[in-house]
Amino acid sequence: MSNYISPAEQYYTNGGVPPTDSNWGEYQYVVLADIVNQFIANYVGNDKMINNVKRNQVVFEAKQAIKLLNFDALRSVKAIELLVTSNLKLILPPDYVNYVRVSIEIDGQLRVLSEDRRTNTAVKYIQDNAGNVTFDVNGNIVTGISDLDKHRLGQYTGPGPYNGCMGWCIDGNWYFSYAIGGRFGMETSEANAGPMFRVNNGVIDFSSAMADRLVVLEYISDGMQNGDDTLVTVHQFAEEFVYRYIKWKLLSNKVGVNLYDKKLARDEKQAEFRNAKLRLSNLHPSRLLMSLRGQNKWIK
Amino acid sequence: MINNVRNTVLTILSKDNRGYLTPAEFNLLADQAQKEIFENYFYQYSTALAKQNARLHGSGYSDIPARIAEVIDLFMVPGEALVYDSLTDLFAAPTDYYKIESIIYDDVTEIDYVTKQEARMLNSAKMTKPNVTFPIYTLDGEGIRVYPDIIVADVSADYIRYPLAPKWTWVSLSGGEPVFDQSALDYQDFELPLSDENNLIIKILQYAGLTIREADIVQAAKSEEVQDKQEKN
Repeated sequence: MSNYISPAEQYYTNGGVPPTDSNWGEYQYVVLADIVNQFIANYVGNDKMINNVKRNQVVFEAKQAIKLLNFDALRSVKAIELLVTSNLKLILPPDYVNYVRVSIEIDGQLRVLSEDRRTNTAVKYIQDNAGNVTFDVNGNIVTGISDLDKHRLGQYTGPGPYNGCMGWCIDGNWYFSYAIGGRFGMETSEANAGPMFRVNNGVIDFSSAMADRLVVLEYISDGMQNGDDTLVTVHQFAEEFVYRYIKWKLLSNKVGVNLYDKKLARDEKQAEFRNAKLRLSNLHPSRLLMSLRGQNKWIK
Repeated sequence: MINNVRNTVLTILSKDNRGYLTPAEFNLLADQAQKEIFENYFYQYSTALAKQNARLHGSGYSDIPARIAEVIDLFMVPGEALVYDSLTDLFAAPTDYYKIESIIYDDVTEIDYVTKQEARMLNSAKMTKPNVTFPIYTLDGEGIRVYPDIIVADVSADYIRYPLAPKWTWVSLSGGEPVFDQSALDYQDFELPLSDENNLIIKILQYAGLTIREADIVQAAKSEEVQDKQEKN
């Protein structure tokens, strides 16, 4: 990957080497190796504020800056589509940091699911008859499937619209998660007609109606591309912020740098962060104009 | 330059019949003097940089660090291919290196020097684990260990070498004096620039004064050296 791809044929066809679309849109981004090299060439030296700094320190701080951008400014959302099987669990993707939306596919439409913040799962410690925790030969606690999960996996068969749905059966009465809040005096923050989910210990647990349904998980990552440094890139709008961030972090860790210089570097970093965020927010005058055109619209 | 230096040294030494240096003795002392002046360049460079950062040096002709760097760069060996030994997992370091400037992988990727302790930390950290994009190396006894260990070829070094040992060669005696022979195969002139001729003479005189036990020579040479330093600073 490179900023300047020539000749043009290389850009459009990647020289005929699959994947032929790998260079498309590449110009927007600067690769991590270029960021590091350019920083060392331009910010590190005997006549500069930063000297005697190792390359791996610059790499580390550059990655931290890119992570921070991904969390707070870029919000470049990844989306994956998966089928939820009868165990009602979905394993989180390897580069998952936090979810943005979890949606269910219904008739080709995506409907956003709500998080159930009340239901929890637990790791079950296997106990003997006396209630003592049991251990394996290595001295580790023996664990099993949580009874919470087992109960939830019960399938109701009987009259009514919930026939065939998974739910909790307590004292002979069946409870279905999507009924939460669906009655008088409901908790509005939980009001939801669809299935629900909860992120738990590396998986997303879904409520009973999600079995055999397609789910789309939109999530944010840290931009580290599963550890492949050749794929780590920064949008050009945020390039200057990354340099300023590295400069600030290196100066703030160095002995003998006066406080004024450290504060100045921090302020520069903050200013560049705001600039990057503004640029990346894609505020176009034409879009603003389109929105303003609706200002006189009558609302019935 | 070596013949001029030798002639000057002998002229000063033979004044008042203080003593005489054989060609072999002269070559030994010349090598010692050249190494000392060569090494001193690095300290001079450091001092000059500090002064430049304090705005005591200017640009152009008064850019002293650049002038010193030019001299040091005379001894730069670029792109020396390093040989990998699969038994020790080490690349052989150049035998004549004074300081390694950079180790390069695949002609473009600079390999970062770290201490052994840092290498352990980096190798055990997920985010900073060395890879072919950002490799690291440690100096390990007589060799260079590169991480990640899948790098076993295409590694080269830019380094500063020691100056070659000077050798004043002669072919025959004339009037009891050896006659200088520049065409001898083992002839080797000083590698320092011409501006160092005076320093070489002073240094060799110091050593010669010690050899022939002439305190006057040592003292005179030292005074000259101190005066020279004061003028430069």
